[in-house]
Amino acid sequence: MAVADNRDVPGRQSMTGFSRTIVESILDNVVWLILFVIVTAFCLFIPGYAQVGIFFNIIEQATFVGILSVGLSIAIIAGQIDLSIESTMALAAMLTATLVSTGELGWGWAPTPIWLVIPGTLAVALTLGALVGLVNAFLVVKLKINAFIATLATYIFLRGAVVAFNGGGAVFGLPQSLRSIAVTRLGGIPMLAWLTIAIFLVFSFILTKTPFGRYLYLVGGNPVAPFRAGIAVKRIAAWSFVLSSVLAAFAGWLLAARTSGATPNLGLGMLFEAFAAVVIGGVSLKGGVGRLSGVFAGVLLLSAIRTAINLLSMPPQYTQMIQGALVLSAMLLDALKTDVRARYL
Amino acid sequence: MNITRRTIGGLALGAIAALASNPAFAEGKGKVYFLIPDSGGPFYPTSAKVEAKFLEQIGYELTVLDATNKSDLQLNQLDNVINLKPKAIIVAAVDYDAIVPGIEKAKAAGIPVIAFDREIKSTKLDFTSVAGTLEIGRIAGDETIRLLKERKGAIKGKVLQIMGDPGDSYSISLGKGFAEKMTAHPEISVITKPTPQWEPTTAGSTAQDQLLANPDIDLIFYHSGYLASAVVGSLEAAGKKPGDILCLDGDGDPGGLAQIRAGWQQVAVGAPMYAQVLAVAEVLDQIVNHQPLKAGTYQILGLKSELTEEAWGPNMKIPGNVVTKANVDDPVHWANGKVPDVKVTPLM
Repeated sequence: MAVADNRDVPGRQSMTGFSRTIVESILDNVVWLILFVIVTAFCLFIPGYAQVGIFFNIIEQATFVGILSVGLSIAIIAGQIDLSIESTMALAAMLTATLVSTGELGWGWAPTPIWLVIPGTLAVALTLGALVGLVNAFLVVKLKINAFIATLATYIFLRGAVVAFNGGGAVFGLPQSLRSIAVTRLGGIPMLAWLTIAIFLVFSFILTKTPFGRYLYLVGGNPVAPFRAGIAVKRIAAWSFVLSSVLAAFAGWLLAARTSGATPNLGLGMLFEAFAAVVIGGVSLKGGVGRLSGVFAGVLLLSAIRTAINLLSMPPQYTQMIQGALVLSAMLLDALKTDVRARYL
Repeated sequence: MNITRRTIGGLALGAIAALASNPAFAEGKGKVYFLIPDSGGPFYPTSAKVEAKFLEQIGYELTVLDATNKSDLQLNQLDNVINLKPKAIIVAAVDYDAIVPGIEKAKAAGIPVIAFDREIKSTKLDFTSVAGTLEIGRIAGDETIRLLKERKGAIKGKVLQIMGDPGDSYSISLGKGFAEKMTAHPEISVITKPTPQWEPTTAGSTAQDQLLANPDIDLIFYHSGYLASAVVGSLEAAGKKPGDILCLDGDGDPGGLAQIRAGWQQVAVGAPMYAQVLAVAEVLDQIVNHQPLKAGTYQILGLKSELTEEAWGPNMKIPGNVVTKANVDDPVHWANGKVPDVKVTPLM
């Protein structure tokens, strides 16, 4: 995909032919290389890490940050930013759980046949996501409010709405049919892991193989040129907000199934993890550059680190420091990649 | 319309007369502020709601401020409230050290300060009403020992302790009490993992990973029933059935009680919230009037509670409830949402 042109970098040493192709290929996939090295190290040094079940856990637990990262990547590639995704996810989870919960705070919706709760709640959650996306798009595209400020405001407002929704109460007691999404395995692999992979594949296809995807890159890279070429720049930007919010709502729907309910602080901190995954994955915060395959590797890397910390024997007070240090190491390696590219390619 | 000074004066007198004839105004004793640490879980919002109901009975108006788990914000709230000169301030501290300068300022301004649910030991307070998180941790430890003995025939086994936020004083204190009991039994091994910001998905993931790395885990002790649903979700996803792994929580949250009813969780050690709240209401008049509180044993909602004079002031310790399947529906548990219909009377 589009890569920053570094031909004017002073002191750059050119590389030609086959060796250049090899180095470019390695650099393009360096996050996967980092992931491989780190997971190998964890397998060697952390007892209990090297087992298939742990690898499935890594993918399964990457579901929510992963889907958020896809939406965030779309917004960033389109030259925007969406800080509201975490709150949208939490509100969608709360709405889903409240709708069908048989607990004290639930509305106990139980259609006949009961499997209808799956499409029913999904439709409600995605509609909520679309509405949030439209509001963000209106604020940014129509009212021309800075995307960072506008989505920060919706982030705060929606998180408040999650807390206010049930007066600070947690909702639990979801029907088994909805829970089945989180507990079912296909071919021995958790359904959530399949869904995560599917989301990445589908949106990778959209970004790289469809005109809409190409427009996202063009608009994010330089909105003036596509505007002059007759591309509806504002509509593309608006769609990027709607897509990121709908994906966040989908993540929320899955999160409700996974945790068998919803709490006001559900998903707290996932926005920052999504940002870390997107940056590690090579998406430029300036817009117009990045690939979802890299983001997927970034998400898996964070999930692998989190799992390693879960298995390490260390005082609980230090786990966040270790997590931060490992994420920083991964990002430094990524920065090294950019440096190598600038100097030698 | 020609409004004269006499008309305005007449209207003002009429308004004062109307207000004075209102019984609530006549009996009003003033405002009390309740500074809660957060509204993320139901415990503090419910405490505040029940406290407002009890204080209304004795003529006080309660205003609640939520610190959203930020100790600096809570300190700012306290500074602002001092300027409003309330009759008393009730504090459930986000951080028991960070709040101390604000408490000292309130005391200097002559405003009584009451600690609720979270002990503040580094300054003098007018009253403290706590279950004693340390004590709840100890009870959870005793229950763990009992459950393991019943399951394995001996006091041994592997326990996964899922804390709350590692910086939260509630979780730290609970963990200390639990550790006191566990260290006496070296044949019980305890794996402790944190849940930053009490985020349930993290607790679920911790359980999921630990069950793979340590398939011989016998019992999971999560510090709040708030995390129960996510942890049970992971047990279910791992193919476990209710009762395969013993579970208990350390706050008696509705989420934990729901899992007791569903058979996944065996025990919850609940904070006696209604009694804690009532204790404050029953001594408030004395505190506001700067009358001394007499140490001794008192019955609060049928719970034998001890009022002792400590270095940080009068301290009312109310024992925690052990919730099991046998008593899960008892209205005494705050998580059941049945506020006791009691008349607030002075405790002494």
